[in-house]
Amino acid sequence: MTEFQQIERKQITFGGKPVPVAVVHPLDRASKAPSVLKGLVRGMRLTLGYFLRPWKVVTRQYPENRQTLRFPQRYRAMLTMIHDSQGFHRCTACKLCEKACPNGSIRVITQKGLLEGVNKLDQYIWRMDSCLLCNACVQACPFGALKMTHSFENAVYDRRLLVYNLNRYAGPPAKVLAAEPDTAKRRQMMEPRGRFDGPLPLNEGLKPVLAKTQESPVRETSA
Amino acid sequence: MMSVGQPAWEVVTVADRAEYWLESHWYFAVAYMILAVLAVAAMVVALGMGLIYGERKIAAHFQCRMGPMRVGYHGILQSIADTIKLLLKEDIVPERADKVLHLVGPFLTLVVTILILGVLPYSPLLQLADVSLGVLYLTALSGLSVLGLLLGGWSSNNKWSLLGGMRAAAQVISYEITATLALLVVTMFAGTLTLSGIVQSQAQGWWVWRAHGVGLLSMGLFMIAATAEINRTPFDIPEGESELTGGFHTEYSGLRFAFFFLAEFINMFVVAGITVTLFLGGWMPLRIGNWETFNNLMGLIPPSLWFLGKVVVMVFVLMWFRWTFPRMRVDQLMRLEWKFLLPIGFINLFAAAVIILCKWYFFPV
Ligand code: SF4
Ligand code: SF4
Repeated sequence: MTEFQQIERKQITFGGKPVPVAVVHPLDRASKAPSVLKGLVRGMRLTLGYFLRPWKVVTRQYPENRQTLRFPQRYRAMLTMIHDSQGFHRCTACKLCEKACPNGSIRVITQKGLLEGVNKLDQYIWRMDSCLLCNACVQACPFGALKMTHSFENAVYDRRLLVYNLNRYAGPPAKVLAAEPDTAKRRQMMEPRGRFDGPLPLNEGLKPVLAKTQESPVRETSA
Repeated sequence: MMSVGQPAWEVVTVADRAEYWLESHWYFAVAYMILAVLAVAAMVVALGMGLIYGERKIAAHFQCRMGPMRVGYHGILQSIADTIKLLLKEDIVPERADKVLHLVGPFLTLVVTILILGVLPYSPLLQLADVSLGVLYLTALSGLSVLGLLLGGWSSNNKWSLLGGMRAAAQVISYEITATLALLVVTMFAGTLTLSGIVQSQAQGWWVWRAHGVGLLSMGLFMIAATAEINRTPFDIPEGESELTGGFHTEYSGLRFAFFFLAEFINMFVVAGITVTLFLGGWMPLRIGNWETFNNLMGLIPPSLWFLGKVVVMVFVLMWFRWTFPRMRVDQLMRLEWKFLLPIGFINLFAAAVIILCKWYFFPV
């Protein structure tokens, strides 16, 4: 008999002939009532437990607690290229992240190195408007050049502002730069890049003019 | 026979007082009734706002949330803001709807609720009218309340609304039986149909425990049936959002929707009030056997506070049900009523009759 069957069909032999009969078990389900009630009571105890422990509330009062916001460690809100204390990044322009991205939100533009003669990073373009923050790019990077940060207040009025340039300079990665002892030469290898450098497809390549108040639409994340 | 030292409660209803004035100064009586009507209207609004705020807050805390926090201290003015919003909203009537019935539906629902508010005994001195067939009146009105839902669902000319209204009708008609069977038990014990008479019959102890388990069982039955009759979770299939968008009120907006909404919340108070009146002694203070000091101490608390306190507890229990239990399917709902509650109700009624015949209940009056 299955769990919810109240009528059992079977055959009995009556006068030498098989006769189909139905055996009714009306109390079968009723016998489950205690366990059902127990389940209900358990649920009610759980909800009452929540009710009596207001400090367990998970809601955060956002704008008020802005200064004391705490995030889960792996919270992802913003893709960032890691820059060390001297402002060097570790990206070798290998484009693995670009391939890993399911949305095509990343474009790594390379340039031929002036001094070394190999491909180096020119612009690392990340389109936040199409990114789904899946973390695949971070995991794909063999050099640990990327990370996800917690800066989540990214709302802007102009969606062109959601196309970011993640690298702060064009040029070779940190390893190559650190090997170069001459400071002047090192500086020569680095070419500054701004947050909104790069192609801006929505406005025929024109860069958005930032109003004074919009100077930094995202909270700067620590490198 | 009443024990010594027990205060005799004299019930004076508002209708009684108006009648008294009617003999000498009829305009006093009229003014008195107008005042009473205004008081009821104020009570409806205050109750609605309070209950909505309470429900939202309590529901939130049952789910580890905070509920409204922005308008006023801890969102205390949220209900007022919502009321203003509802009042200012556009009143949309579907083009092919039955215009008259579309309007009558929500009105009827609210009116029925208010009619029940009028007979609930809040305290010996505060009851609008003590209808001589009080329990019957309650039963009749709770059957009528579904008419509003049905009209609303029918007149909207929308399949979801119609299904919702039909479900409401089927559900209320089914659960009415259990509710009535549970009420009958108390009426049999109390020997009266008037609500204040039932309250007075509990001076020595509340029916919920005085009647040897039968009272407790019928209170449980009544709570389940009443929850179903006011369409609250776990029996809220008439407005099951996941199946019927909004059920019978899919096509309602603005003030008309507010009426449905208000009636739904005040019904919660009404059900709690009826449960308290019939099973938990209404405005009667708690009395335990012959603990005279305890009884006198309890007697110091005014009856209206007793009523209010008990109702608050019952409303909390109703909210607790709502935010814990999952919604039932239609067939499960019907099976619960016809296969479980109804037989249990009949057996319970029979047991109650036996107990009364043999005079087995505690502290016989
Ligand atoms: S997080 Fe995912 S979607 Fe966003 S850029 Fe990286 S790989 Fe692409
Ligand atoms: S970020 Fe990492 S994966 Fe992407 S191009 Fe640079 S080094 Fe390669």
